[in-house]
Amino acid sequence: MNFTLLIQELVIGITTGAIYALIALGYTMVYGIIELINFAHGDIFMIGTFICITVFDQFGLTASSAPRGFSLIGLLLLTLLISMLICAVLGVVIERVAYRPLRNAPRLAPLISAIGVSLILEDVGKLWKGITIVSFPQVFPQITYYIGPVSFSSVDILVLVVAVILMVGLQWMVSYTRTGRAMRAVAQDREAAALMGVNVNRIIAITFFIGAALAGAAALIWGLKYGNTNFTLGFTLGLFAFTAAVLGGIGNLVGAMLGGVLIGVIEALAALIPDSSATGGFGLPHGGAAWHEAIIFVVLILILVFRPSGLLGQQTPEKV
Amino acid sequence: MPTASMLLPTRDSRALLIKWIVGLLVPVMVFTFVWSGEAIINNVLLGLINPGSTALQGPVLIEAAIFIVVFYATVIALTGYLVAADSGRRRTIDLWIDIVVFTLVPLFLVINFGLVVGAALCAIIWPAYFFVRRRVRQARHYTPPPPLKNLEVSDAEQRAILMSRATTAGFWFAFAFAVVWLIVDLIYFFVGQLPTVLLIWVVIRTILLPIAGYFLGRLGGAVALRRTLAAKSNGSKSDGNVATNGVGRRVSKKRQLESLSTTRAREEAKDLVPNDLPLRSTGAQRFYLILIVAFVLFYPVLDPFLFGSGTAGRLAGYGDAGYYVILALGLNIVVGFAGLLDLGYVAFFAIGSYAWGIIGSTQLTNVLGQAPVNPHILSALFWPMLIVGALIAAFWGVLLGAPTLRLRGDYLAIVTLGFGEIVPIVFLELDKYSNGPNGIVGVQSPSFPGVDWSVITPVPYYYLILALIAFTIFANVRLRDSRLGRAWIAIREDEIAAASSGVNLVNTKLFAFGAGAFFSGIAGAYHAAKLGGVSPDNFSFGDSVIFLAMVVIGGIGSIPGVIVGALAVYAINQLLLAQLDSLATDPSNPLYAVHNAIVHFIPGFTFDNIRNLIFGIILVVIMIFRPEGLIPSARRRREFHAIEEDHEIEVGALDVVPGAPGFETEVRVE
Amino acid sequence: MSVEQPIEHTGEPLLKLNNVSKFFGGLAAVQNLDLEVKPREIISVIGPNGAGKTTVFNLITGIYSPTSGNIVLAGRSLAGLSPDKVLRRGIARTFQNIRLFNNMTVLENVLVGEHTQLKANVLGSLFHTPNVMHEEAEARQRAVELLSFFGTELVERQEEYVINLSYAQRRRVEVARALGSIPKLLLLDEPTAGMNEAETLEAVKYVRRLRDELGLTILLIEHKLAVTMGMSDRIYVLDYGRKIAEGLPEEVRRDEKVIAAYLGKPTAADQKAAE
Repeated sequence: MNFTLLIQELVIGITTGAIYALIALGYTMVYGIIELINFAHGDIFMIGTFICITVFDQFGLTASSAPRGFSLIGLLLLTLLISMLICAVLGVVIERVAYRPLRNAPRLAPLISAIGVSLILEDVGKLWKGITIVSFPQVFPQITYYIGPVSFSSVDILVLVVAVILMVGLQWMVSYTRTGRAMRAVAQDREAAALMGVNVNRIIAITFFIGAALAGAAALIWGLKYGNTNFTLGFTLGLFAFTAAVLGGIGNLVGAMLGGVLIGVIEALAALIPDSSATGGFGLPHGGAAWHEAIIFVVLILILVFRPSGLLGQQTPEKV
Repeated sequence: MPTASMLLPTRDSRALLIKWIVGLLVPVMVFTFVWSGEAIINNVLLGLINPGSTALQGPVLIEAAIFIVVFYATVIALTGYLVAADSGRRRTIDLWIDIVVFTLVPLFLVINFGLVVGAALCAIIWPAYFFVRRRVRQARHYTPPPPLKNLEVSDAEQRAILMSRATTAGFWFAFAFAVVWLIVDLIYFFVGQLPTVLLIWVVIRTILLPIAGYFLGRLGGAVALRRTLAAKSNGSKSDGNVATNGVGRRVSKKRQLESLSTTRAREEAKDLVPNDLPLRSTGAQRFYLILIVAFVLFYPVLDPFLFGSGTAGRLAGYGDAGYYVILALGLNIVVGFAGLLDLGYVAFFAIGSYAWGIIGSTQLTNVLGQAPVNPHILSALFWPMLIVGALIAAFWGVLLGAPTLRLRGDYLAIVTLGFGEIVPIVFLELDKYSNGPNGIVGVQSPSFPGVDWSVITPVPYYYLILALIAFTIFANVRLRDSRLGRAWIAIREDEIAAASSGVNLVNTKLFAFGAGAFFSGIAGAYHAAKLGGVSPDNFSFGDSVIFLAMVVIGGIGSIPGVIVGALAVYAINQLLLAQLDSLATDPSNPLYAVHNAIVHFIPGFTFDNIRNLIFGIILVVIMIFRPEGLIPSARRRREFHAIEEDHEIEVGALDVVPGAPGFETEVRVE
Repeated sequence: MSVEQPIEHTGEPLLKLNNVSKFFGGLAAVQNLDLEVKPREIISVIGPNGAGKTTVFNLITGIYSPTSGNIVLAGRSLAGLSPDKVLRRGIARTFQNIRLFNNMTVLENVLVGEHTQLKANVLGSLFHTPNVMHEEAEARQRAVELLSFFGTELVERQEEYVINLSYAQRRRVEVARALGSIPKLLLLDEPTAGMNEAETLEAVKYVRRLRDELGLTILLIEHKLAVTMGMSDRIYVLDYGRKIAEGLPEEVRRDEKVIAAYLGKPTAADQKAAE
């Protein structure tokens, strides 16, 4: 086993995983608070990437003509904020229109509504930017660094920095602010929280706001790192991120972060599985990379079957 | 022979007769004279008299003749039934307006815009009509009379009255129709449009129709009588209308019905005669069913008359719509009956398709590595493969369902979604068996002695899918009403209570998955044969969503509902959008301007392109406003609206209302 | 309606719990419980809220499995059986929060209760073989008879959706459903919960009739002391998952520990220990 390759894949995995973690946080927060799998969340991320592209266009930013230094940081920060804000508003609007009327309906209804919203967003994306892969200006200077034989890029550092700051910020907010406390209360027992004077509707809206904002942030750093996006991106990444949320323990923020990184790593390591037609038996046909989606789904299924509460979740209390 | 006095309407029934005869005569005349009824009949006759002079000959001629006879006979008998069944509490005007909206408007739309666009327009107009009607009623403070309030056990005299009303109605309806027809034909004759040779037919018909009307009216009356509440135990329910307890006290059906709540009574009232809304009664539905079956069965013959040229293309399209129906019915078992939200149904469809795809083509030799098999043998294998492929799909249904058994609703959905993604990937990557991304081509059509299955004539595929659909509906209805069907509803309502009542959760759920997958296997095999090929990009999550949309839009758990849902979704998916696009390229059409305006802002816009957008909006809207679907099963309508239900429910202090948070508990049943 | 007669005359217990404990994580829901029910007895399990009574039912019917100890029915262990298998062995139950199938009719609910008494398989159901049709008709007949145990009211309303029934009626339907499986032992979880006095008296009457007329053995959970006095052959008292008393109603009523548990006053023994 080529050790360098392994470490290299780990590095890739961790950086991608950080992005998955940001998206996963949106899933886990929403599920924790209203027990709904927000199918549309991944598509909000996708819309976020398109928003960033549009902002870059407006500012005339391209990979070659981007400024450097502080003005770049400033512009990126602005884009980040715009993306986060618009996605956040989108998330709140979706909740209000498609989920809130169904809050007391049987579980099937909001789930299908979420699928419907996802379809709508995907077509919006398709109409906006077409069906082919859209290139995302990689305006952040790509400088490769080396630690030994293992390489990583300045963009990777940016990804990790942004992701970590946001995750830490979220954790602080949830643990130490009044709103965060209210969010935790509503997630535990909605009625009791309401009886304590918490405005449940507002808290739920805030949850969607934050979750979607994180997706918006993830959109920017994804684009800067990978340089492309597509209207179907939200669906695929959404499922990966959801798997991450489940892996870490649905409803658990740290779990989502951990899960995100793990899924990123698993995906990266999957690429190491050799092509069975080349090795003559061992491995998978066309190599692990072609199967990475299937592998992640298998992970999801295994978790749900054997440990549905995830790595960090508690076994839910039983009540008959 | 009936005497003249027996046929004269009494004063009471005169109004009733006018109400119904006029009401029903108009649509029948439209169909006969405006659309094509007359055309078909005249062609049949000419074909009989001068073989070869018209387009109809041979078996096709006979089919057309049968359809005509069945159609008119059913309509006349239906008239008899309706007059007998009507309680008379509804006003004539209301009825006539309803008839206009539900028969004349669709006829008009379909004649002018074709079946698909016409049906789509109806789907918009009818809800609007309901809405307006409700508002008007509210404004006029009209409340419909409570159902079953005037429930009466009918004695012999009343039954005789009923029957005489029916026969009178049948007779006079047929008579009126014959007279009108006579006049119209005479006009045609004098204008020169009617061949002289057919005059004999006109005379014969004018005499025969009223006679036939009398007997058909009797038939309608008999149907109505079966639905009355009889004094003795010959009720319409199979368990008799008398319930006993051990001590011998008898509780009559009438008593049972009287003690029902309003909503439940309304359901039962649909079955009974006299009926406030006879057009919607189950008795009338029997007649509608005959009409629909006749129409569908003889459609290939009728299509040239109804819609002109292009029959082959339409038939091919409907053949495709057919497998959607089977898929919807299959998924309905899993989602509708058992309540297991399956988002990966496309996986089993893929398995069924590939099963026939591999065996029924040269791929088989690639897999087995042997000498090529004679294509004729392969073709003959289709029939056993229908079953075998379905069984293979069922097997995988059980296998892939097994991990989901302990999962709650949303998690189950995600896992099935995962499988729905994995299976096509597997087919994509396992080149050796599936030929990878290129798919399999050259899949054999079935073979049946004397029938040509080539692409040129879609008729055999049309009848094949009809047969398969008939089988599927039959199986579904039987399953739903069986011990297993009850077990499915039970586990859907409350797993713990079901298990504590003896229902084996594992087996029951696995059976649902297996049964659902079985039918998708059938659809898959048909699809592969008809398309002549299988390819991995036929199957994606988007398809699973479409299948789910069919069930949800049509009515979860309702067999007629999901059939309509499948047709609606197919129509939107494949036909409507394409037609809108072609209309939009026609400069004389108002749609053209609309289209151009939109393209100005959104370059990539075509109607076809926004398919998912439309589906997404439909799904959200349906979930919010009509979650029980277009044609809901009574049970489901209750489920979805139980929370808003009124004073009827007395919820005990310790009960948690179903649907409220906290009702569903999380217990691992070990 | 036939009921298998359990081993009456030997005095062997029908149901026996041997040192059963159930821990949820660190929480002891039930601890070291010994309990036995002889055939045709009416046994009550009482205790304040949270004493673990429903947990005991869930242990017996297989919804939970005991952390230690075992449960034996007519000499055969119930270990590891799922609820539907426990039902097949002959134990049926009702629930504290009535768990009916809300969108099914009264009759359909009882028919589900008869699920294990029917043998129809898929092919038979598909093709309406005479066996299956006959079985269905008989099942319906039996269901009506079961409903008639409670008088004509439920028989009249057999086609009504259960959600439209009154609370007391729903309770009775739940019992009828449990009876559908022709059980040997019937577990009733708080059958008089939420009822006023008149309804409670009615309930007590039919519980007695279940034993007297149908020959059932009954184990019931009851929160109201007074109700159990008039109805039970023996009473077990639980508090915090432990058995604190057992015996005849009169004995239990005067037991200090029982009074203390319900009223929250420390007993003499507690006071001594505190010093």
